[in-house]
Amino acid sequence: MILNPIRALGKYSQLLYHAFGALPEFGTYRVNLWQQMMRIGIDSLPIVMLAAAFSGAVTTVQTAYQLVSPLIPRSIIGSIVVPSMILELGAVVTGFILAGRVGARIAAELGTMRVTEQIDALEAMGLNSIGYLIVPRVLAGIVMFPVLYVAASFVGIGGGMLVGHFGGFVPIGEFLEGAREFFQPFDPVFGLIKSLVFGFTITSISCFKGYNTSGGAEGVGRSTTQAAVASCVFLLLADLVLAATLL
Amino acid sequence: MKISNELKVGLTIIGATVIFILGVRYFEDLPLFATTYELKAEFEDAGGLIPGNLVRVSGVSVGSVNSVVISQETGKVEIGFHVDRNIIVTEGSYAIVTGIDALGAVRLDLFLGSPSAPQIPEGGLVDPGKGSDLLGDLSASAPEMFDKVSGVLDGLDSVLAEAGTMLSQPESDLRRTMSSMESAVAELDALLASERGRVDSIMSNVESVTGSLDSAMGKDGEKVSQVMNHLGTTLTTLDAELARLSSVSDNLNVLLQKLNEGQGTLGLLINDPTMYHKMDSTLDSINSLLADFESDPAKYLGEMKLVDLF
Amino acid sequence: MISVRNINKSFDGRQVLFDVNLDIQEGHTQAIIGRSGSGKSVLMKHIIGLMQPDSGHITVDGIDINIIPYAELRKVRRNFGVLFQGGALFDSMDAFENVAFPLRTFTSKSESEVRAEVMECLGMVELPDVGKKMPSELSGGMQKRVALARAVALKPRYILYDEPTSGLDPETSNTIDELIKSLADQLNVTSIVVTHDMHSVLNIADRAAFIHEGRMHWTGTIEDLHASDDKVLRRFVKANEYQIGV
Ligand SMILES: Nc1ncnc2c1ncn2[C@@H]1O[C@H](COP(=O)(O)OP(=O)(O)OP(=O)(O)O)[C@@H](O)[C@H]1O
Ligand SMILES: [Mg+2]
Repeated sequence: MILNPIRALGKYSQLLYHAFGALPEFGTYRVNLWQQMMRIGIDSLPIVMLAAAFSGAVTTVQTAYQLVSPLIPRSIIGSIVVPSMILELGAVVTGFILAGRVGARIAAELGTMRVTEQIDALEAMGLNSIGYLIVPRVLAGIVMFPVLYVAASFVGIGGGMLVGHFGGFVPIGEFLEGAREFFQPFDPVFGLIKSLVFGFTITSISCFKGYNTSGGAEGVGRSTTQAAVASCVFLLLADLVLAATLL
Repeated sequence: MKISNELKVGLTIIGATVIFILGVRYFEDLPLFATTYELKAEFEDAGGLIPGNLVRVSGVSVGSVNSVVISQETGKVEIGFHVDRNIIVTEGSYAIVTGIDALGAVRLDLFLGSPSAPQIPEGGLVDPGKGSDLLGDLSASAPEMFDKVSGVLDGLDSVLAEAGTMLSQPESDLRRTMSSMESAVAELDALLASERGRVDSIMSNVESVTGSLDSAMGKDGEKVSQVMNHLGTTLTTLDAELARLSSVSDNLNVLLQKLNEGQGTLGLLINDPTMYHKMDSTLDSINSLLADFESDPAKYLGEMKLVDLF
Repeated sequence: MISVRNINKSFDGRQVLFDVNLDIQEGHTQAIIGRSGSGKSVLMKHIIGLMQPDSGHITVDGIDINIIPYAELRKVRRNFGVLFQGGALFDSMDAFENVAFPLRTFTSKSESEVRAEVMECLGMVELPDVGKKMPSELSGGMQKRVALARAVALKPRYILYDEPTSGLDPETSNTIDELIKSLADQLNVTSIVVTHDMHSVLNIADRAAFIHEGRMHWTGTIEDLHASDDKVLRRFVKANEYQIGV
C-alpha cells in the first residue's frame, strides 16, 4: 500500500527515461509536435488569457481595497499587481487551467488509445509509441507553456491596469510607474522557469496517467480525473519547491 | 490560404518572445529598442537603494539600478546601474542617493559633468556626491539645531519675565521713564508701520524660495551642509543679541510688549502663523529659510539690528 | 520461423498461460483456436513482444525477442502486420490515413504511390469508398476490414490476425478468408490466425493449435484435427460444426 506511490514514481521515471531516449528520433514525432503545440498552446490561448485578465483585475481591485490610506501612493497598486502577475499568477493560473484542459485531454486521449489497443497497434508496427505520443506532448507543454505564461502575464497586467484606471483606483501612468519602480529583473525569468516546469509537470503526469490506463471506459475516466488532480497537486508542489529554491 | 500549424505555432512563439523581451525591458526601465550603458558608483551608505530603483537625471528617469552589493575589500556599497546610451555621462558627474527610505521611494540622482569632459567608459565609476543622504544629514543635525532654538526662546522668556517684574514694581526706574517713553513709542509705532511693507516683501521672498527649494535640495547637498553650519552661527549670533537685549532694559520693555502683540518686525516673524506652519510642516521649508539666511544674512540681521535701536 | 517456448503468464496473480509451446513454420498459416478467454489474444501479444512472459522465450527468425534491446525489437516488429481483435484503428485519422500510416511512416513512397497502394488495400477488403470516413463512422465489421487493410499494407513477412472474420457476415468472411489465403500463397506470408470460426480454420489454415484454459491442449495439421479423438477438442469442433453446418 505504502509502496504504491513509490512504484508509481518508479514507473513514471521509467516512462520519462524512455521518452528521453526517444528524443533523438525527431522523425517519429515531428508532425505530432506541431499538432500538439497547436492543441496545447494556441487552442488554450483564449481561456488562459480570459482567466489571466480576470485574475489581474481582481488583484488590482483587492490591492486597492486593502491599501486605502492617504499615506500610501496609489502607484503601489502597480508595484504589487505586476510582480504578483509575473511571479505567481501568470504561471499558476495558466497551470491550473491547463491541468484541467490539457491534462484531462491528454489522459483521455492516451487512455482511450490504450484501451482500444491503438498504442499496441503503434508498437506492433515497430513504432516507438512513447516517442510518437508522449514526447511531442511533453515537448509541446515545455515550449508552449512559457508562451501561454507570457500571454497570461501580459493580459493579466493589462487587465489589472485597465480595471485600475477605469475603476478609479489608479491611473495607468501611476500604475506603470509603480510597477517599474519595484521591478526585479529576475521576476520574469523566475516566472518563465516556473511555467516551463509546470508545462513539463502537467503534460508528463497526464501522459503517464493516460499511457498506463487499464480497464476500459471506466479506466479512461479514472485516468482523466487522476491526471487533472495529480497535475494540480504536483503543480502546487513544484510551485513551492521552486519558490523555496530559486527565490 | 490555410495557415499551417507550423506557421501559427511559430508566429505565436515569436509574438510571445517579443512581448517578453519588450515587457521586461520596459519594466526594467530600459529603452525598448536602444541599448544601455552600464556604470558603477561606490557609496558609504546605500540609503535603502535596491535593484530596480530608478536613476534620474534632472528629474527624468533614464535608467535603473541593477545591483547593490557590499564590496568585500573596501567595505563600501557598490552600486551597478544602467542609463540610456544617449545620456553622456562625463568625468565630473556624480551620483547621489535621494528619497525617503521609509516610503521605499529611493532613487539614484545623477548629476552630469561638463559636456566637454571625456565620457566615463562603460562600466566606469561615477563619483558619489557628498551629503549622499541629505535628509539623514538634516535629521542628524536637527537635535542640535533645536537645542539652539530652544536656547534662544529660553532667553526671550527670561527677558520677558524680567521685563514683567520691572513693570510690576511701581517705583522702578522703568515706571518713571514710562511716560517719557510714551512719545518715543509713538514714534516707534510709526517707524514699524512704515517698516511693514518691507516685512511683507521678505515674507513673499521666503515663500518663493520655499517653492523652488525641492530642486535646489538635491543639487545643493553640499551647500545645505554649509547652510546648516551657518544656521549654527546665526543662532549663536542671535543668542548674543539676546544677551545684549536683556541688558537694554527700559525701551525693551515697551518693544517686547509690542512684539507680543504682533506688531513689530520680529513679532511678525514669531507670531505669523503661516510662517510657523511652513517651518513646521516640512524640513524643506526650514531649509529654505536657512538658504535665504545664507544667501543674504544681512537682510535678517539687519532686521534684527532694529533691536539695537533700543 | 516463430517458436514459442514454455511461456507462462499471469495477471495480478491469476495465471492465463501455462507452459505454452508452439512452432510456426515459414510460409505456413497457423490457426490458433480456443474458447473465449482461453488466452489466444494474450499469446498473440507475446509473439510480437507487446507482453513479456513471466517465464519462457519467444524467438522470431532465431532472435529471442524477450532479451533483445527495444530498438532491436522494433526492427523485428517491422516484419509483422497485426490485426487486433478490436481493429485498433487510430481514431484521430480517417480510414485512408489509417491505411496510409504505415506506408508514410516506414517507406519513402511518394504521395501518389501511397495513394495507389492504399486504394489497392482498401479494394482488397472490399471497402474502396470509405477513405474519407473516420473510424467512428464505420461499422464494427468495416473497422475490422480497414484495420486488416492497414495490417497488410506493408506486405509484411508475418501477419497476425486476431479474429479477422468475427462480426462479419458469411459472404464478407469468405472474402477475408480468400484474402488471407492469397497473401499466404502469393507473397509467402507466414500467418497466424486467432479465431474460433472453424469454417475459416478449415478453409485457410495449414495447422491448428487448440488452447484450452491457458494450456496448449492440442497442435497438429488440419487433417489431424479431423482425425483427433480428444474429447475437449471434439467438443469445441462439434460446437462449431453445428454452427456452420458441415
Ligand atoms: N491486460 C490484461 N490484464 C489482466 N488480465 C488480462 C489482460 N489481458 C487478458 N487478460 C485475461 O487473460 C485471459 C485471456 O484473455 P484473452 O484476451 O487472451 O482471451 P481470448 O482467448 O483472446 O478470448 P476471446 O476469444 O474472447 O478474445 C482472460 O481471462 C483475460 O481476463
Ligand atoms: Mg481475444
